[in-house]
Amino acid sequence: MKTALLVILIILICLWYLSFLATRLDRLHHRVETSWANLDGLLQRRAAIALEITRSDFSDPASTLLLTSAAYQAREASVQDRSASESALSAALALLIVDGPIHATASESALLDELAALTTKIKIAIAIHTDSVSSTQLVRKKLAIRLFRLAGTAPLPVTYEFESDAL
Amino acid sequence: MLTTRLKIGIVCPYGWDVPGGVQNHIRDLAEFLLAAGHSVSVLAPAIDETSLPDYVVSAGKPIAIPYNGAVARVLFGPVAFSRVKAWISQGDFDLLHLHEPAIPSISLLACWAAEGPMVGTFHAAAKHQKVIYAIGPILEPAIEKLSARIAVSEAARLTLTNHLDTDAVVIPNGIYSKRYANGKPQDKWLGNTIGFIGRFEEPRKGLHVLLDALPIIARFAPDVRVFVAGPGDPKDVEKTIDPQLRQRFEFLGRISEEDKADFMASVAIYVAPNTGGESFGIILAEALAGGACVVASDIPAFESLLGGGEFGALFASEDSTELAKTIIDLLRDGQKRQVLSKAGKDHAQIFDWDVVGDQIFSIYEMALVGGEGVTLVSENRTWNRLLSRDEDKK
Repeated sequence: MKTALLVILIILICLWYLSFLATRLDRLHHRVETSWANLDGLLQRRAAIALEITRSDFSDPASTLLLTSAAYQAREASVQDRSASESALSAALALLIVDGPIHATASESALLDELAALTTKIKIAIAIHTDSVSSTQLVRKKLAIRLFRLAGTAPLPVTYEFESDAL
Repeated sequence: MLTTRLKIGIVCPYGWDVPGGVQNHIRDLAEFLLAAGHSVSVLAPAIDETSLPDYVVSAGKPIAIPYNGAVARVLFGPVAFSRVKAWISQGDFDLLHLHEPAIPSISLLACWAAEGPMVGTFHAAAKHQKVIYAIGPILEPAIEKLSARIAVSEAARLTLTNHLDTDAVVIPNGIYSKRYANGKPQDKWLGNTIGFIGRFEEPRKGLHVLLDALPIIARFAPDVRVFVAGPGDPKDVEKTIDPQLRQRFEFLGRISEEDKADFMASVAIYVAPNTGGESFGIILAEALAGGACVVASDIPAFESLLGGGEFGALFASEDSTELAKTIIDLLRDGQKRQVLSKAGKDHAQIFDWDVVGDQIFSIYEMALVGGEGVTLVSENRTWNRLLSRDEDKK
């Protein structure tokens, strides 16, 4: 009788622990989703600003061509191409800012200021996102989680290559 | 951009009416957010619950516990936990900002109890690494709930990455730099003068390093005078001063913010000989903003705040001979002092609340993406939800 009670108690504790782990993992997945949504939104805004820059007199025809195509690709890239196209946009923007003319009108320098502010935010968003991804990856390595398939069908979150070189 | 008014809940781990850097930071942050039109509620332990500002809610009386080599006035326990939960569920917050959630305090309790957009700020740079290793696994499930982490300095960030496997964005502590920018030089503090502000009785503030350096300095600059400001009883310290040099010292006691600005604008050199335990060094930011020529020990926090020596001179911590050399060099070279204080004053703008507040707010925006507001974990548990639904039916 006593042993039976003990076994039940142990099973209950195990169940509680598993449910605790599952909640924890669910929360982490949620965090990855929100941090990605945040980063994604900022990247979309960057592409929009890049397009606006191409429409100003600020950039020469060649840069305009490069930037326009890069911005469009970044906006419409599929999941597989996303990393490469964001890298390309970063590179195109960097070219323009390094070689670009110093005489910018008020509206153009406002655009550039906005871009600079956005770049800072993107860097922070990337740091937040990679951190949430890496903590999720760490927790998903736990034996209990792999053994009982607590992650369910959720894909393992990954970081993208462009995140290490975005501007 | 978010232009809506947010409801922000801030948790302060240390007693509100005990002087301290974290409390000052939270007060300034709360006032910055209120001025920007948001509604703010700060939950903090308080000794005297009757004299709190409108936006502070008391969580109870703090208890003094030894932690990380100092006495921390914090609060925890079942009663505090239920107060924290009540504050969260009644507050209906969009976002929680927890300060120092890695120490046993109401910040940690709030981190356990809440779910939703949460930002954590880490102030301390821990010294006792073994302790952190031991408590790391306990803290992890709580700390990983934070949507974003802020470290106040590179030293605080390193503590996080090394011991809790998590990264943080570095945003410095803020100062109202305009309050210090227009100090008027006062005759009584001009000349070959050295300034020191802080609780000089505490050994880690390093006044003894300056005391040891003074005989050497006095040999080269016989008219040197030292002004020590800050709370404390000077009697014990005066006993340790060489009798011949005693009249070179003047203890000013606690000074007001305006006096502080004048003080920084007047003294030839401001010295911060702290030997450690400092994670940011807000007083150095204030000294720079006030246009003082700063000499500081090369502890990590000060080194990074002074840009490795670009905005103020550094000396090897606890080395009074090198401190003396550095001070003598600067006392002799007025131009070098001017260059340093000019560079420092320009640099101090990055610590201004206008800059720091915006940076913190942009972290809030990132944490808020996809958030549905802060709720209690216990409210979201399935059985509790079922139970409360049953009650509703009745």
